[in-house]
This record gives sequence, structure tokens and C-alpha cells, in this order.
Amino acid sequence: MRAFITVGSTRFDELIQAIFSTSVLHSLSNKGYTELVVQCGYSSFPYDYLLAHGELSFKVQEEGVFIECWKFRPALETEYEQADLVISHAGSGTIVDVLRMNKPLIVVPNSTLLDDHQQELAAALEKLNHLRSSTISSLATTIQEFDPSSFTKFPPFAGDKFRDLVDEEMGFA
Amino acid sequence: MWGLASCILVLLVAIVCIRIYYILPGSKTTDRTRAINHDRKKIAIFLGSGGHTSEMLAMTSTLDFNKYSPRVYILSEGDTLSRRKAITLEATKAAKYGSVSKNTNAYTFLVIPRARKVHQSLLTTPYTALLSLMHCFYHVTIAPCFHGSPFADVLVLNGPGTCLVLCLAVYLNKFLGLSSPRTIYVESFARVQTLSLSGKLLRPLVDRYIVQWPELLRDGKRGECRGWLI
Repeated sequence: MRAFITVGSTRFDELIQAIFSTSVLHSLSNKGYTELVVQCGYSSFPYDYLLAHGELSFKVQEEGVFIECWKFRPALETEYEQADLVISHAGSGTIVDVLRMNKPLIVVPNSTLLDDHQQELAAALEKLNHLRSSTISSLATTIQEFDPSSFTKFPPFAGDKFRDLVDEEMGFA
Repeated sequence: MWGLASCILVLLVAIVCIRIYYILPGSKTTDRTRAINHDRKKIAIFLGSGGHTSEMLAMTSTLDFNKYSPRVYILSEGDTLSRRKAITLEATKAAKYGSVSKNTNAYTFLVIPRARKVHQSLLTTPYTALLSLMHCFYHVTIAPCFHGSPFADVLVLNGPGTCLVLCLAVYLNKFLGLSSPRTIYVESFARVQTLSLSGKLLRPLVDRYIVQWPELLRDGKRGECRGWLI
């Protein structure tokens, strides 16, 4: 099975470092995720020198897991589509995109951000059983205990709500 | 002499305060106008970059572009990604509803200097914010006087920073009694327990204040929640 890891368009050093750690790789391979695609952005981690000279990606094999690491993966939608599990920062855009594709999702809120609202969103959506929220130190355990079939389906885009609101305000309603 | 001057000053301040009180939403019944079905409304859409742009364009995509025409996308300087995303949305809509594409002037871009860049020093912020405000005043207040057509009928905003400056420009119009757009602010889906800074600042100013999580309205102040809009 395949897992896709993304930190969005900026960086999240701790998450990428955790992904390459022995404990997380062990959990992943234990659960059958032997293929990883990583979008690391500008994160700094032990292998980042392999992307330091304009390279787009590199491949390594560790703990029985094949890892393909990209600075930026061109088509994220395709990656979500092909993944059996997505592990990501708790950015709202990524969360919505992944859940709309009905993909199992583990998020790790970036607690180093000044305005820590990633944590709020992750907790609220976990409470509604749409995803699992984890931390850097408990990521390996979360993966180990993860049951992709246990989630509540994320509701589809309710396009009429905003339209009704503006129509109402403009007197079209 | 000083007595007279201070009297005039006090009077002026009082008049300004009364005027501001009068134009603030909620201080009087709103005068929402009824549109006739073939009416077209000019809509201004603020694209705040990154996640703000994505949410705003997702919401914009639900509108009937035949009703909301022309459309003005307001961008911050250098935000080419938001511009590209808006062009993509317009192309998708045009392909879907052929009638929209006939009007080549259906949408335009308005670029405004950022009030404050990410990580910009607080020392230089007043200068860039003022420059941004001047741009907004020009486009919202001055230019429409010369062109004879209002800036927009409705302005939709969802943060961050520069959208406050835009809202202040709308208030100058209101203050002067010029035609001004209705303003709708939508707080981001990412805001569950605490409002964003722009959300807090714009809450008393905009005509419609929308949040996507009911927890944000626990304080009983103004705002509506209709669930998730994205």
C-alpha cells in the first residue's frame, strides 16, 4: 500500500524528520505501507542535501519502505487519489481536498506556528470522526492503531449556501 | 480665539462620531434593495492569497455569473497564483455557461499593494499600510466619481490584512454619502474556536458577518453561521 505525506507549500521540519525516523517507518511497514511519496517543501531534514542543487526528487529505501521524496509534487490531486493513507500538516485546504476524496487522513498540527489554529481545526474534525489528529511524538503509535475504515464520510461541497447568501443580500432571493 | 477653535473642533468631532454611528451596520435597519430578475450586479471579490484565495474561489464558483457581472478580482501585489486560479475559474465557468464568455469585459483584476507583508517589521508597517489605503481610496472612492459607475454593488471578503484597508475605503464612501458596496465577510473554515485578526476587526464594520463554526458566535455578538460554506 501507498502513503502520501505532505507539509503544504512551506515547511514543517519536525514532521518530515519524524517520517524518516525508524519508529514511524517501522509502523508504516508493519501496517503494509511499503511505498511512500513525500512532498517535503522547504523542510530541513537529514536527506535535504539531496534536493539542495535544484533536484526535483530523490529515492531511498529504508526499513523496507521505498521512499520517493519531492520538494513539490506537481499534481497533488493525483497523489491523493493514488494514496491509501495521507499524512499531512493540518492546513485546511489540504484537509478538505483529501477528505473530499474519501482518503484516510492523519494530520499533525504544526504547533510552532504563531497563530495555532491548525490545532483547533484538527481537534474539531477529529471530534466529528473525519480524521485522526496526532503529534510528532505519538505519530508512530497513531499509525500503528489507525483503522482507515472507522471514519465518518465528509459531507460534499454545499455550494448553495454561499450563493443563497449573496443572492439574498443582493435582493435576488 | 482658542475657545472658539476648540468649540468648532468639538462640534466637528461630534458630527463625525454621529455620522460614523449612523453608517455602522446594526445601528439602523438595513436598506437591502430588491433586485429584479434580469438585473446584473457588479461584484468585487477579494483574494487574500493561499488558503484564503482557495476558499473564496470555491465559494465564488457557486454564483450565477450572469447575475454577477462584471466581476472584479482584488489581488495583492505579486500574487500571481491567485490571479491564475481566478483565470482558471473564469475559464471553467465560461466553458460551462457559454453566454458568459460573450461579454469579454466580464471580469477584471485590481491589484493593491499589501498593507503588510508576512514577517514585515512593525516599524515600516504604517508606511505600507498607508500606501495600500491610498490605493484603495483611489479605486473605491475617487475613480468611480470620474467613471460615473460605482465601484461595486457587493464586496466579498475573507481576510487577511489588506481586506481591512479595503473595508476602510468603503467606509469613506459611506461617510461621504457616496454609493458604496454591501460588504460580506466570511471567516475561514479553519477558524473553529477563535476569530482571525481580520475577523475580529471587521466584525462591527461589514453588513453581513458569516462564520463556519457556531462556536465562534458564543459571545453573542453579531454574526451568522450557516454551517460549512466550502
